[in-house]
Amino acid sequence: MCSGSKNNAGKHEQQAKADFELDTLFDENTILVQRTLRSGQSITYDGNIVVLGDVNPGAEIIATGDVIVMGSLRGVVHAGAAGNVRSVVVAFKLLPTQLRIANHITRAPDGEAADSDVPEIARIKNGVVTIEAFNSEWQGK
Amino acid sequence: MGEVIVVTSGKGGVGKTTTTANIGTGLAALDHKVVLVDADIGLRNLDVVLGLENRIVYDIVDAANGNCRLRQAIIKDKRLEGLHLLPAAQTKDKTAVTPEQMEELCAELKKEFEYVIVDCPAGIEQGFKNAIAGADKAIVVTTPEVSAVRDADRIIGLLEAAELRDPKLIINRLRARMVKAGDMMSIDDMLEILAIDLLGVVPEDDLVVISTNKGEPVVTNEKSLSGQAYRNIVRRIKGEEVPLMDLESEGGFLKALRRLIGLK
Repeated sequence: MCSGSKNNAGKHEQQAKADFELDTLFDENTILVQRTLRSGQSITYDGNIVVLGDVNPGAEIIATGDVIVMGSLRGVVHAGAAGNVRSVVVAFKLLPTQLRIANHITRAPDGEAADSDVPEIARIKNGVVTIEAFNSEWQGK
Repeated sequence: MGEVIVVTSGKGGVGKTTTTANIGTGLAALDHKVVLVDADIGLRNLDVVLGLENRIVYDIVDAANGNCRLRQAIIKDKRLEGLHLLPAAQTKDKTAVTPEQMEELCAELKKEFEYVIVDCPAGIEQGFKNAIAGADKAIVVTTPEVSAVRDADRIIGLLEAAELRDPKLIINRLRARMVKAGDMMSIDDMLEILAIDLLGVVPEDDLVVISTNKGEPVVTNEKSLSGQAYRNIVRRIKGEEVPLMDLESEGGFLKALRRLIGLK
């Protein structure tokens, strides 16, 4: 199910020059998970993970890159698992049991369930994991 | 040197995890140093019942396979000083740990904790064999149903075969009113079949469900009947003589009144 698409890098480079500097955006290490991850299911990938579905409590996503969940993220997530502190986690509903980025581990305070209507992004800012509303003004790393 | 007690039942859904959480919490509330071990790898629940799910980083499989030190996998409870949890793994299965590894883990835990309580998975396969591997004593949980009692009987046989002598029985979810009406097996009916020592009887109680959902074991609830039952069980585990609660009188004011005027 880990179908990482490996394009021909040379061909891609040519095409990129014709447009603009696409190669700065190009990232071949992303997998698309087209289902909901249920309790006990786990995906580990050397790259980014995009989930078209939910990540339920008890499920686990571990990526060396970013994690994007087009649904509710309620399980355990680890972005930048190899130590990349610039990794981010984005989800429509960001309610993880535990959220890890690189070597930071966080969880929601006890008895608090902050619900947001907008997609949220978690990343490390000034050494602490910060969660904010996600908007298109976010300019990457 | 502490003792390792396994909580088992054979049948699922009779309340092993609830019992484990309540006994552990009850012992810790009496200032004992306790660790609860979730042996239900792949279907872990104990962390959820204790409200500690979001603290898990390493688990029993990591500890058994040396991916982390045992100390790193043990989680401290958020309320009680003496209570600890060694969580199960959720993304692996029962074969991820061997009985030999469990024995080692239990031996290690006994050195540091007074009570090591192992929550056994349902069934009689590998998970059960793992859970009982390091145990010194066993508690069998059953409910007043023919199927649960049948499975408890099978488990008692298996425990004896594994040289775990003298298991103790907890009868869970007893409804005194139904027993009285003859619609439910009575304590005596069950003891007659199983013929082992009774450690306690826990009445059916809505508060158990409520507290489980909140992640706060009912044993800490001073007002609840089931909480009292668990507190009694805890004292019996400690070796105290505590008489069985009179569950028949449950039913409150009206019944008490009837008894007063001699209507029984």
